[in-house]
Amino acid sequence: MENGEKNFNVRGNEKLIGSSDTAIRGVLALLKDNVDQSMQKPMIVLGHGDPTSFSGFRTTQVAEEAVIEALKSAQYNCYAPTVGLLSARGAVAEYLSRDLPYKLSSTNVHITSGCAHAIEIILMVLARPGANILLPKPGFPYYDARAEFSEIEIRHYDLISDRGWEINLDQVEALADDNTAAMVVINPGNPCGSVYSYQHLEQVAMTAQLLGIPIIADEVYDHLTFGSNPFVPMGVFASLAPVFTLGSISKRWLAPGWRLGWLAICDPARNFQGNTIDDCIKGCFNIVSGPPTFIQGAIPQILENTREEFFSDINAKLKECAGIAYSKIQEIPWLTCPLKPEGSMFLMVRLNLGMFEDVADDMDFCLKLAREEALILLPGFVMGMKNWLRITFAAELSALQDGIGRIKSFCVRHSLAAAH
Amino acid sequence: MENTSDNWKFKGNKELNSASAITVRGALNALMSNLNASDERAAIPLGHGDPSAFPCFRTTTVADDAICDSVRSAKFNSYSPTVGILPARRAVADYLSQDLPYKLSPDDVYLTLGCTQAIEVILTVLSSPGANILLPRPGFPYYEARAAFCNLEVRHFDLLPEKGWEVDFDSVEALADKNTVAMVIINPGNPCGSVYSYEHLEKVAKMAKKLGIIVIADEVYDHLAFGSKPFVPMGVFGSSVPVVTLGSISKRWIVPGWRLGWLVTNDPNGILRKSGIVDCIIAFLNVSADPVTFIQGALPQILEKTKEDFFSKIKTILRQAADICYEKIKEIPCIECPQKPEGSMFVMVKLDTSLLDGIDNDMDFCLSLASEESVIVLPGICVGLRNWLRITFAIEPASLEDGLRRIKSFYERHSKKK
Repeated sequence: MENGEKNFNVRGNEKLIGSSDTAIRGVLALLKDNVDQSMQKPMIVLGHGDPTSFSGFRTTQVAEEAVIEALKSAQYNCYAPTVGLLSARGAVAEYLSRDLPYKLSSTNVHITSGCAHAIEIILMVLARPGANILLPKPGFPYYDARAEFSEIEIRHYDLISDRGWEINLDQVEALADDNTAAMVVINPGNPCGSVYSYQHLEQVAMTAQLLGIPIIADEVYDHLTFGSNPFVPMGVFASLAPVFTLGSISKRWLAPGWRLGWLAICDPARNFQGNTIDDCIKGCFNIVSGPPTFIQGAIPQILENTREEFFSDINAKLKECAGIAYSKIQEIPWLTCPLKPEGSMFLMVRLNLGMFEDVADDMDFCLKLAREEALILLPGFVMGMKNWLRITFAAELSALQDGIGRIKSFCVRHSLAAAH
Repeated sequence: MENTSDNWKFKGNKELNSASAITVRGALNALMSNLNASDERAAIPLGHGDPSAFPCFRTTTVADDAICDSVRSAKFNSYSPTVGILPARRAVADYLSQDLPYKLSPDDVYLTLGCTQAIEVILTVLSSPGANILLPRPGFPYYEARAAFCNLEVRHFDLLPEKGWEVDFDSVEALADKNTVAMVIINPGNPCGSVYSYEHLEKVAKMAKKLGIIVIADEVYDHLAFGSKPFVPMGVFGSSVPVVTLGSISKRWIVPGWRLGWLVTNDPNGILRKSGIVDCIIAFLNVSADPVTFIQGALPQILEKTKEDFFSKIKTILRQAADICYEKIKEIPCIECPQKPEGSMFVMVKLDTSLLDGIDNDMDFCLSLASEESVIVLPGICVGLRNWLRITFAIEPASLEDGLRRIKSFYERHSKKK
C-alpha cells in the first residue's frame, strides 16, 4: 500500500508528554535564555549546587590521580557487577561506618550513578500500587519528579522556617498512613542550608519508628557543615527505624560530573529481614545501567587517601561565603533570610513582595533579575515555596559579592516609591 | 514504644523480580555459581560479550589518553546538560554521518549511560497502554526485561537460521497490528553473529514503512563486521522510515565498563519530532542518570583520533577467533552451526540432545558443562531459542581453542553409547 505522506503509528508515553519543565535544570535554562546578551556584565549563576565552574572549587588531585591510575591499570574496562564493584562497596561501607555506632558491610552498600540515581532506585524499589511518600517542603524537586514517574502519591510535610527549618513532626504523623512507604529527610539541607541537631534527628527517628516507616536520608551534602551543629548521619538512629542513606562524592569532592554515588541500607536491628528488599534492589540493578567501572575502582583510594586539609579548606571557604552572603542579605530589606546557613551550599530567602512596585512573584523576580542584571537565582516555587528564592553561596567570593550587590540594585530599582 | 518487625511496612515492587530474572547476567550468575571450585583449570568464559580482560583486546591508548587529558583539564567535573555536552554530541553526529547519505546534527544525538540506557530510554518513551513492540527471536533479553518493566507488550518475529538469520517478514506482518509501534533490528547480530546486507536492510525499511512502524536499530556492534558483508547502518534508510539508532563505544573500543552510549534519531523528515517522541526522549532523560561528564569530554578525541589500525587489529582477531570457533564446532557432533559468524562476538549453535546421555536440554548442558569443564556458555533459552547455545568467540584465541576442546571432551564423555 503506497501512501504519499506515510502515517507512522508512533506516539509517546503519556506519562512523559507535557511533563512540565519545573525541574531545576529546566527553570535555570529558561532564566539563562532571558539574559540580555548585549549586556556587558558577565553572567553570574547562583542557582545551582555546582561550584566547579569557579576556580577555588576544584576536586583534590588525589581523586584525579586515583581515577587515572584505575583507568591505566586496564583492570576496569569490563562491566562491573550490577550492584557495584565489591572493593567500592566495601570502601563506602567503611567510610560511612566511621560515623556510625555499628559497622556496615559491603553487602549493605550499592553503587549508583550519582545520588540522583540512588533516588531513582530507592523509589523504584518502594513503588507499589497505592503507596505514598512523605517529602519535605521546601525540598528537592527530583524526588517529586521520580515519585510521579513511579506512580507513588506525594505528600508534603513542612519545614518550619522560624525553627531552623526543622521538620514539622506533628504534621508527619498526621500525613502518614498504612500506605506510606517512607519519609525523606535531607540533611544537611537543600535548599535551606540547615544542619539538624542530634536531638532533632533522634525525634525524627522516633516518629518514624512510631509510624513504622523507613527513612530515606539524603546526605549528599554530608560533612559540608561549618556552623554550630556537626553533621550527624541519620544512620546513627537506624536501630529505631531503618534508614536508606543516599550519598555521593559529588558535593564533598566537588565532582558532580563524575556521577558516583551510593545507596546504603542501615538496618542494624534487622527490621527488614524477611522482607524482600534485597531481592528488589538487586532486581532493580539488573535492569538499569551503572556507573563506569574504573571510577568505582578508584573509590577506595579516593575515600581513604583524601587529605583532611582538602575537606577543611572547602568547609572554610563555604563558611566564609555563607557568612558574607548572609550578612549582605541582611542589608537588603526586600529579602528576609530566616536562617544563617550552617551547611550545604544554599540559603532560602523570602521575597517581601509588598515592597516592590512591579514584581508579581518569585519567577517574575528571577526572570527580570536575569534580564536586567545577568544574575541567575532559583525561584522558590521549584522547591515548593512560592515567593521565596534559593541562593547558592558556594561560589567564588568576588562573584558572590558582585551577585548580591546586583540583587540590591535590582531591588532598589524596582522598589515601591516611598510614600511614607 | 516497642516495634516488632511485623510492623515494618516494606513491601517491595514485585515487578522488579520478574523483569530482571530473564537477563543474560542473571543466567550467567547461575552458571558461574555452578563452577567447580576444586577444578584447577581457569574457567573459560564463552558466555558474555566482554573481551576487555584479554590483553589482545586492550583498548587503544588514544582512548586512555583522551580520558586522562579530560580528567586533568578539570573542565569536565560539572553536571552535564541532560542530553549530553555539545562537543561530544557533535563528535557522535560527525562519526555516524560518515556512513550516512545525509548529515546528522548534534541535536539528533542523545548521550546515554551505555547502549543499555539507550534501550531503557526508547522503550520507556514508546510505552503506552496497549502498545506492542516487535523483537527478534533469538534476541537480546534486556529488551524483554525492560519492556516487561514498562508494561510494553512484546511480540517476537523469527530470524531464519537457514537464511543467514535474516528476518522472517511473513512473521513480522502476521504479528503487527495498529498498536505496534516499532520493530527492533540488531545488526551486526547478537546472538547470531550475522551481518545483514544492504538489500535485506532495505527490505526491513520497506516492511516497516508499509506497517507504519519505526525501526529501532541496535548497532552496538557497529563496524565489527569481518566477513564478506560490510556494515551498513540502518540510518541509511532514515528518509523512508524513521530510525532510532542505539550504539556506544563499548564494543568497538572494547570498553563496556566506560558506560558511554547514544540514542540517535535518523529522521530527516522530522516525523519523530512532530509526533512528540523527541520531547518525550528529553523529558525522560531529565529524570534519568547521565553518563560521566569527563568521559563525554574525551569523546571527540576518542572518535576522531583512534587510528584505523586499532580497528583493523580488533577485526582481525575477531575474524581469526570466529574461524577457529566455526571449524572446531564442526568436530563436535552434538552441536551444529547453521551460519558461520560474520560479525559481532557471538555464534548460535543448535544442540542435539538425542546424541547425549543424561542431558535433557540446553540449560542442563550448560550447567553440567560449567561444573565438569569450567566452561561457561549461554543456554539458548535465555535468548529465545530452547536447545540452542550462544557461544562467544571474542576471547583470546588460545583460550577459545582450549574451551572448545573441553566442550568436545564433554561431548565425548556424555555421548550416547552405540
